Amino acid sequence: MPDPKPRVPVKPGFYTVPADAAATPDVICSRCKDCGEYYFPKRLVCAKCLSRNTEERNVPARGTLYSFTFVHIPLFGSTKIEYQEGYGVGQIDLPQGPRIQLPLVGKREQFRVGQKVQGEISVMREQEDKDVVILRFRPVEA
Amino acid sequence: MEHVAIVGVGMKRFGFYPEMHVNELGRDAGLAALDDAGLTFQDIDAVYAGHIFMQPMTAVRAVKELGCTGVPIQRIENASATGSAALREAYLAVAAGYYDKVLVLGLDKMTEVMGRTPAAPELEDAILPAAFFAMWATRRMHERGTKAEHLARIAAKNWNYGALNPMSQRQPTEKVTVEGVLKSSMVAWPLTKMMACPIGDGAAAAVVCRLDTAKKLAKGRPIVRIAASHLGSEKYERGHLFMGPVVGPPQMTRDAAKDVWEQSGLGPKDIHLVQVHDAFAIEELEYYELLGFCREGEAEGCIERGEFEPGGRVPFSTDGGLIARGHPGGPTGLAQIWETVLQLRGEAGKRQVPNARAGLCHMMGGGSVCVAHVLVRD
Repeated sequence: MPDPKPRVPVKPGFYTVPADAAATPDVICSRCKDCGEYYFPKRLVCAKCLSRNTEERNVPARGTLYSFTFVHIPLFGSTKIEYQEGYGVGQIDLPQGPRIQLPLVGKREQFRVGQKVQGEISVMREQEDKDVVILRFRPVEA
Repeated sequence: MEHVAIVGVGMKRFGFYPEMHVNELGRDAGLAALDDAGLTFQDIDAVYAGHIFMQPMTAVRAVKELGCTGVPIQRIENASATGSAALREAYLAVAAGYYDKVLVLGLDKMTEVMGRTPAAPELEDAILPAAFFAMWATRRMHERGTKAEHLARIAAKNWNYGALNPMSQRQPTEKVTVEGVLKSSMVAWPLTKMMACPIGDGAAAAVVCRLDTAKKLAKGRPIVRIAASHLGSEKYERGHLFMGPVVGPPQMTRDAAKDVWEQSGLGPKDIHLVQVHDAFAIEELEYYELLGFCREGEAEGCIERGEFEPGGRVPFSTDGGLIARGHPGGPTGLAQIWETVLQLRGEAGKRQVPNARAGLCHMMGGGSVCVAHVLVRD
């Protein structure tokens, strides 16, 4: 077997890409060391207490679906057939506090407000030297 | 502030102008506003001009089409609220006593930038505005049992208002129905194409001046005054979204309403017509409540009773709104001002709201900001 191509995020600094493809990735957040508030994406100044005493914290990509849709437009920059007829998008509340907006895995009928979702790294564009990957969320089977 | 008036308004109908330069669109709207005020460009003390999508320097170059008088020209940009924010700058400058007669201009050719590929894709490119507002709708359906029919009824109302407005981009030749809106293609569930504003080009303008000057220029016409002006941005609360095409949180619009009621001494009961940022029908539904025209959870019932439709308690989006009149960007907020000024003067033709004496204009700008103005006829 040839070595697998490196998996590179569409933009660095937002989520981890675990070496083990089956592992749940982390969302890269900031946590305020003074008031404890979490943010995604990471930021220097705490928006709640204006402290600059923040630190980078990785948070497992697991949360609750606050809302969702299914967009009937191809995903920008994608070469995968799966995204050409459209894609799901969700707002996910992480238990630490941040609400994040990212694509969802699956069809609209599979999504419902309030369900548990977890992140996975998905290939969006295959290039000769690398696979460009995104973070998507998938409903957790009950 | 009670001594700032709007004495002229003008529009270049929103639509597609492949054969015209954006500066020419701005020129036509600017000349229309000057003519409406009975002024020439020589009379103008300052210009605030706004665009979103055009190259730097566009605003200044477009204003040169009206003349080169050495007048101060300042470009304003605040996403969808660009035109509204430019009007506010003119209002502040006149209220502060710096200038008397100020021209406000908004212009854009959105068609020139659509399809342009960003150099470096951002993570948030995956979240389109349609998806963002569709998620408002999904959440609302979950919390309040809202149906797609409620959204379609708002959209149909705005399309049908468009048919009554010669400056509306969309001019349906047959009555638009709830069924027709629901049958149009799905953009982002549950939002269909006819529940969304179109892309387009266009321009709009207004002349703002001191109230005493307005009285001299009136020549028997009713005078429209700016009774309140508000610009606000986001306040942090848990669940705040920091990435994507965000407008909100909802508190921003509640705060805008509270501020304009305090400034004007008026309340929702005193307002005869309202223009809002109905880029998608779900927005107009939310703003019924956030602006205080009904209590939380009552919007669906009000829609079913036609309370915000022609002949209803307080008509919304009387020029067709963003959905029908169009939303090129920079000029959009000034189209709301154009409509409200005509309505308050009694010059709105077939879509005239009877005896309209006070109107509210509300705009959201991505990022995000909220701008609101109350206009009154004394």
